[in-house]
Amino acid sequence: MEYDEIKRFREQNIHKQKDYSELNTFHDKLIKHTVEIAMQKVEEEQGKAPAPFAFFIMGSAGRSEQSIWTDQDHGIVYQGTDEEKEYFLLLGKEIANGLEIVGYPKCDGKVMASEPMWTHSVENWTAQVDMWLNEATWQSLRHFSTFFDSRVIIGETAFLDEIKKATFQHLGSDPQVYKRLIDNVDFIRKGVGIFGQLLPEQSGPMTGHIHLKTTTFFPYVNSLRLLALVNHSFSVSTAVRFNDLKDSYPFLAEYEDQFERLLEFRYLFTKEAKNYDEVHYVSLNKLSKSDKQELKQFMKSGADLFETTKSFIEKECLSW
Amino acid sequence: METVLMDNLWVIIGTFLVLLMIGGFILLEAGSTRMKNAGHIAGKTIFTIGIGSLVFWAVGYGFIYGEGNWFIGLSNFFYGDTTFAEEGLSPAVDFMFQMMFALISLTVAFGGFAERAKLSAYVVFAVLFSALVYPVVAHWIWGGGWLADHGKQDFAGSTVVHLTGAMAALAATMILKPRIGKYNKDGSSNDIAGHNQVYTALAVLLLWVGWFGFNGASTFAVSDAFFGFVILNTQLAAAAGAIAAMFIVWAFTGKADVPTTLNGALAGLVAITASCGFVEPWAAVLIGIVGGLMVYGSMRLFDRAKIDDPIFALSVHGTVGIWGTISTGFFATPELSTGMEWGQPGLFYGGGFEQLGVQILGVAASGVYAFVVSFIILKVMDKVMGGLRVSEEEEIIGLDLSEHGSYGYPENIPHPSEQQAR
Repeated sequence: MEYDEIKRFREQNIHKQKDYSELNTFHDKLIKHTVEIAMQKVEEEQGKAPAPFAFFIMGSAGRSEQSIWTDQDHGIVYQGTDEEKEYFLLLGKEIANGLEIVGYPKCDGKVMASEPMWTHSVENWTAQVDMWLNEATWQSLRHFSTFFDSRVIIGETAFLDEIKKATFQHLGSDPQVYKRLIDNVDFIRKGVGIFGQLLPEQSGPMTGHIHLKTTTFFPYVNSLRLLALVNHSFSVSTAVRFNDLKDSYPFLAEYEDQFERLLEFRYLFTKEAKNYDEVHYVSLNKLSKSDKQELKQFMKSGADLFETTKSFIEKECLSW
Repeated sequence: METVLMDNLWVIIGTFLVLLMIGGFILLEAGSTRMKNAGHIAGKTIFTIGIGSLVFWAVGYGFIYGEGNWFIGLSNFFYGDTTFAEEGLSPAVDFMFQMMFALISLTVAFGGFAERAKLSAYVVFAVLFSALVYPVVAHWIWGGGWLADHGKQDFAGSTVVHLTGAMAALAATMILKPRIGKYNKDGSSNDIAGHNQVYTALAVLLLWVGWFGFNGASTFAVSDAFFGFVILNTQLAAAAGAIAAMFIVWAFTGKADVPTTLNGALAGLVAITASCGFVEPWAAVLIGIVGGLMVYGSMRLFDRAKIDDPIFALSVHGTVGIWGTISTGFFATPELSTGMEWGQPGLFYGGGFEQLGVQILGVAASGVYAFVVSFIILKVMDKVMGGLRVSEEEEIIGLDLSEHGSYGYPENIPHPSEQQAR
């Protein structure tokens, strides 16, 4: 099988997925096949992989919350030293090129296994995550959050878990970082105006569209990531995090259902998007009155959830 | 005698302040447009002021204030009156003050040309606007023409200066068509951000101070210090306009947009220009608020109508100029209208619809005249000059380079030695 064949398969079938959950299983399948082809190609040219490794995906892919169009966010972790890095960077490059052919645009922020920052040995990954948390700058914490939403597609799951365990240890000894992690995602773009009206884009090709990701989606995702960190949870998708954490945080129950519906809502209204730029937007023209009400409710609940999460974590951190 | 000298001094200070407003317009236009056009837009403002000054001296003043008929004045060309009046203003002081208004109106008109008109279009239109458009409207209202006979109230020029300029800008904008990249194929509009909001903010401050001369010195006298009241109204309207515009743009879009806020202050100033000598301070606040709210709505409407107005001249000076003029029809007090033998009180002061009608008539007639004549002039220019607009390539590289051969920000182009090395 070649990349082109996977691309065709993708085009033929992507619109046949009946909900976001099937869609994400479909994405995983495509990514896995693509990576397997890439591995084979690199193996033919460079020989077998010099060490056991894992290829993982991050961000929305890691959380199994991808839309029809999604860009690449991935990395590699391997057992060994810097000597093996060159091989895995080559593999990362091949994977990135392959995924691009299949229909996943390369990441503007270069969060890809082809980049030295996102391919490391277990030891160096742990050191890098430590460094991110020690620096605790806006950029380093953005990297950290992206990394933390990671999930292995091919290879040893234990490598990634090992790094996450070290992360939890770090956070346990330095709970003040939680405060910085909250600050890092504290800005929520306004989606509803003073008159209770939705606030779409005012100019550009997406005029009249709501940016669903920043106005609506982020508060849920960020809240549950923060709670997962505090509770040393290895679960990655927001829905699973809801499920795992609701016993510890009963207030989550009322938002869990909202989030499930939001995922369906997003799937329904973005499945016709023609490219990655469009996929984060929902056209107000396509929404009925009740859809708009529902969207406003998603936004309101998201903001409430984030505020509640924030105060819970701040209380817990201070008590430590 | 001393009072007469002080009157003259006050008006010449006002003249200086109004001329300094051109500095405000330079910063406003440069800040609201892109870097590649900055030198051009600043430089053309200075040389069109040169053209406007000479044309006003040669024929403009004569067409406004010369002996003539209901439509136009026809004497006092190539002005050179050296006399000194025992009462009132010295003719040269009056002439200079009036000239400044013509220059402001011309500069407003050029807002509609921004970022795409040929330099030669500026030259020719500066001559024709200063001779054929502005003086006619100014004659009608200030020079003893037919609207003056009706008692039209326009204290410092909401109609004469701002609306006239804006109507010419509208004609130019319609003929020139939108800038490259302003509208997408699907009809949506892109925000072509100005390159320097600090310039734009300083521009507003400079214009605001200049407006104290524009409105304050339009009292033409210091004896009763009425200028203080006029300036008070001016300040209140500008302040209210800025606040109202920031509020409405925030309420509708969720963002406290800076350019809209700045336009709100200017809208307050434009709105109060007609009414500053006729209304009470509370009304000035209200007039400013309405101006600030209107400017936002107007910006949106022009954008939706695919009329690309880079400097927002149409909204600030046109739409709000109309509101400012009509506002005296509502708010003019008896003491400041009939009490001064200038029109009637407004609707809210028992004046009925009479003054309101006069104001609406004045706005409509002046607006239509300025638009139609400007449109005809520009259409003829378009044909004769082989187009008013620079080529697509010139527009893309920027008017600094295409029209003047050097960038306003030279760091944008490599040093000649670097070019040779290539």
